[in-house]
Amino acid sequence: MSDLILDVRGLSGGYDTTQIFSDISLQIAEGESIGIFGPNGHGKTTFLKTLSGLIDPWSGDIFFCGQRMNREGERGSRKMRNFNYGAVTRRRIDPKAVARAGLIHVQQGNLLFPELTVDETLSIASTAARGRKGWTLAEVRELFPRLGERGSHKIRFLSGGERQMVSMAAGLMAAPKLLILDEPTLGLSPKVRQELCDAILSVRRLGLPVVLIDQDVAFLEQIIDTLYLFDHGRFSGRMGKEEMPDHQTLMDMLFGEAH
Amino acid sequence: MDTAILIDIVKSGLVLGALYALMATGLSLVWTTLGIFNFAHGAFIALGAYLAWQFSSADAWGLPMVPAILLSCAVMFAIGALLHFLLVKPFERRQDIVLISVITTLAGAVILENGLQLIWGARSKQIPPLAEGAVEFGALSLRNSELILMGLVLAILLCVGLFLRYSRPGRSMRAVAQNQDAAALLGLNVPLYFSMVFGIAALTAGLAGVFVGTIRFMSPSMGSEPLMKALIVVIFGGVARFSSPIYAALIIGQIEAFSVYFVGLYWAPAVLFFTMIVVLLIKPEGLFGKYQRTL
Amino acid sequence: MRYDPPLHKTQGLLPLILAAVALLVYPLVFEATYFRHVMILAFIFAIVATNWDLSLGYAGLFNFGHVALFAVGIYTYAILAKTLGVSPWLAILAGGGTAAIVALLIALPVLRLDGIYVILVTIALSQLIYLVVISWSDVTGGTSGMVTLPTLKIGDYRLSKDGRIGYYYIGLGLLALNIAFLYLLTRSRLGRAIMALRDNKYYAIARGVSEARTRALTLTASAVFTGIAGAFYGAYLRVASPDAFGMGFLTLVLSMLLVGGTGTIWGPLIGAFAISFLSEWLAGFGPWQNIIVALAIILVVVFYPGGLWAALQQLREVADGLRSQTLARIGRRRGKSAREALTGARERMLKTRYGQIAVADTGPTTGAGKPALLFLHGNSACKEAFYKQFRSFADRYRVIAFDLPGHGVSDNADPETTYNVDAYTRIAEEVLADCGVTRVHVFGWSLGGYVALELAARGTVEVTSLAICGTPPLAVVPDDMGRAYVPTAHMVLTAKQYFSREEARSYGQHATAPLSEESAFLHRAVRRTDGRARAYMMTKLSITDWPRQMRMLAEGRIPTAILDGSDDPFLNHDYVAGLKYGNLWKGAPQDIQDGKHAPFFNRTDAFDLTYFSFLRFAENDHMAGDAPA
Repeated sequence: MSDLILDVRGLSGGYDTTQIFSDISLQIAEGESIGIFGPNGHGKTTFLKTLSGLIDPWSGDIFFCGQRMNREGERGSRKMRNFNYGAVTRRRIDPKAVARAGLIHVQQGNLLFPELTVDETLSIASTAARGRKGWTLAEVRELFPRLGERGSHKIRFLSGGERQMVSMAAGLMAAPKLLILDEPTLGLSPKVRQELCDAILSVRRLGLPVVLIDQDVAFLEQIIDTLYLFDHGRFSGRMGKEEMPDHQTLMDMLFGEAH
Repeated sequence: MDTAILIDIVKSGLVLGALYALMATGLSLVWTTLGIFNFAHGAFIALGAYLAWQFSSADAWGLPMVPAILLSCAVMFAIGALLHFLLVKPFERRQDIVLISVITTLAGAVILENGLQLIWGARSKQIPPLAEGAVEFGALSLRNSELILMGLVLAILLCVGLFLRYSRPGRSMRAVAQNQDAAALLGLNVPLYFSMVFGIAALTAGLAGVFVGTIRFMSPSMGSEPLMKALIVVIFGGVARFSSPIYAALIIGQIEAFSVYFVGLYWAPAVLFFTMIVVLLIKPEGLFGKYQRTL
Repeated sequence: MRYDPPLHKTQGLLPLILAAVALLVYPLVFEATYFRHVMILAFIFAIVATNWDLSLGYAGLFNFGHVALFAVGIYTYAILAKTLGVSPWLAILAGGGTAAIVALLIALPVLRLDGIYVILVTIALSQLIYLVVISWSDVTGGTSGMVTLPTLKIGDYRLSKDGRIGYYYIGLGLLALNIAFLYLLTRSRLGRAIMALRDNKYYAIARGVSEARTRALTLTASAVFTGIAGAFYGAYLRVASPDAFGMGFLTLVLSMLLVGGTGTIWGPLIGAFAISFLSEWLAGFGPWQNIIVALAIILVVVFYPGGLWAALQQLREVADGLRSQTLARIGRRRGKSAREALTGARERMLKTRYGQIAVADTGPTTGAGKPALLFLHGNSACKEAFYKQFRSFADRYRVIAFDLPGHGVSDNADPETTYNVDAYTRIAEEVLADCGVTRVHVFGWSLGGYVALELAARGTVEVTSLAICGTPPLAVVPDDMGRAYVPTAHMVLTAKQYFSREEARSYGQHATAPLSEESAFLHRAVRRTDGRARAYMMTKLSITDWPRQMRMLAEGRIPTAILDGSDDPFLNHDYVAGLKYGNLWKGAPQDIQDGKHAPFFNRTDAFDLTYFSFLRFAENDHMAGDAPA
């Protein structure tokens, strides 16, 4: 058990009454990086939001570094459809506790705090580290030299790539033990994309394990040890780095040739 | 027009503006942070006045003014946080929070106002003025109480502004206001900051109530007119940043002072609302606003 | 897809008639003037609240100037009838007119605003009107308002006579007119545009709905009866006071709306009566009255945001669940022998983790040693739908069928966990395991077809052949459903929780056969089905692994036949034919001529022949496949 950094057992969840994913199990060993590949709209992001505590899980357990992150048991039945269960039930998972334990989730297309400056944002991120050692401002600026120049700019005025960099930098300063990156290169120009990919690679080389969601198989191959296929709210396949086929083959595996 | 009259109008506009700024600050804080409009704000103003009266009046506990005000600030902060817990938090994740919070804060206001009536009765009360006497600057005559009011309001707003801008909790509060999810993912305690914002809003409203209580007679529904004024200020100025309602309050104060002089006491509020609607038609996000809520 | 049955074909008719009769007869039986007074006020508030719901609930437009429209009605009446001496009846109508004009003025600045801004601007506007009324004291009487307004008379008869009975009936009549108006409006083109804008603004605009025009029309329409109600209020109480603009009044009406429930006509109606009576009942308690009403509002909104209307729906759901469960219990005991005679199979109750499931199985009688054949029935049907197949196939096969939970004589079950394809498949596995069957031919019809596909895809039981009927396989849900099915009103019924008699007949007719002596039991099965099974199935689509079914079909491990009715009214036959199959019998769907949605029932002989030859094919194929290995 102790050599698992993240141990997800039979996790089910979704929004309010709509179930999005069911019975997901995922074990990540200490130091292992994994990739998740799958079509859009099938619940990857919802699953990750549940992992990081933004959404309550319905059932199942999440252990991070051997520590339980969710309250034990299943979500109570919601038979009375119009009753506001939110008013009487406690949250089943606390995002701040998850973050403070070191599971840091860098969201997809994260806008962060539009009216805060880059430096203010980064200083907030270091608060979250709570005494554990995260990256320092200097280290982060070395990784993303642009952020040093943009320190006093509001995030609102940054480009998409720069925002993603701030997001990642904030994640790193929050002292992650495992970093979840949800489509970090979505919608970026090839040049900025390359810059980010390089940064992720160097983070990876420094020994920080990541959970990377991306649609680019070639990029995934560079970063991860294991690839999980995700569709229709469950993992439909798992393969080691060596066995990874190309993008088209993966899509065929997921959908058959009809699509 | 006589210069002396002009100076007098501007002066009373300034006093009004300062008061309105204090009233509007809490309202816009809550709006920008939680995205809801707190209709209990007027009741907070009344409650602050009654608490200050209770602590300071010779008929009640008779504390000296400063500790009395500090005590009522503390109580107001607690009540604000409590009301957030009871009236807003139960549906913080629901889509229709804007509408639901309107009715719960309205109902909260009804409870507070009727509670005031039950506890302190309908008989009018007044808080003694903060200071007696007046000072003369050439043509300008200022009562000491007005000076103190303006100075205190300036100090309070400066404190709140600096707190938000430079302190760590203030910065986190702004982060929470702008993106709850991202803030939570960085380990910030979102519900705590929400409660704090509500508490600070109640505290500033309570202070505004103290000032109103020194100027006018107090009644349980004394908050409804200030609530409307705060509403005008917030819409007029927009809520783009902490300072925009303050500028708006100063402008509104002047408009009111001038319109009282020119069209009379009765029509002055109508002029205010009319100006506000004109501003809205031209610039719906308010004079200083961007069409987006942030802190 | 549009599904708007006329009122007399819905289930709302009976309660509506009952309520109307009760309200009509009430003042003739009880003569207490005070209660009539509260009722008259409740009528007026109900008009204001239901109209407010048109803008707030239906349009999602938070018009907080709505109560000001009511006040405008009052003042219109006061000025016209008292100051200008116009006939009171005309003044009441004029109240609606001026309110509509004012609403149009309110609409102008909010045409392009959103959310909370609309609230603030409309509050500000209503305050402006209020301030004008207060300041313009020559005409409006200022803060003291206007008193001794003219009362209503018919000829020389004053309506306030005989315990205000005249006002009672006029108020009731206005309320009825108002509800008819709103009912028709919400079902009109405009009404659908209003809701489309609320639910998906940009999509609606892209489809050509004008946002500004619709908003202006909504606000104006919501003002007409509000203004009339205001004028009537003025005529009834004979005072016009600026209090009508105040926050207290606004809170009262808003609480009726939210306590009753937004987004329907009936919610605010119930809320208006509930709050009127609650606050009258508490009238003697001074400040406590307001505190208790406010607390009640908070409690309802915090714990039960759908309001009283949603609570009624909840009660109805519980009652309907009890009704259908009782039908199942009775049927289980009384009809067993008849059902066994029909199918020729033994029926037994199997305890599963999803409740008791009724299984018909020829195993104990004639089925021993024969290959097993499982029939899976569709939505709102029962296992006896296959009784003809029981007769034709029993001599060669061990025929098994069971009632899905919530159907036939099986138990109702927890809707959250049970009413979905996944759970149905697990039940099928439990049933087969209980029968001791590990290899089975499966036939699935409609919803049962998806269960059959899932059963084959899961692979825990060896499915030796697979036949589906009325079931277009899906890969991406719900996107594919639009292509797989023909959009008809029937699609709405498929997921509709409660059926009126009319709807049950229509559903039964289209899904199986027109009502006749032979098909009567299928029509009864529709009535017995737990409505939640229909409603929940659609919300649980996403937990089924649809692409796995598609992959299974494409791989072609299992010989598959598609036996649709050639004139199935719901299927897109081209879609079904165009999918990729690895092992489809005869390479194409084999449609049964004139079979409709249930060819095995309507064209039994043709179906049985086709299916039988498929089973023969599958068995030979299987043997052929086995031999070389």
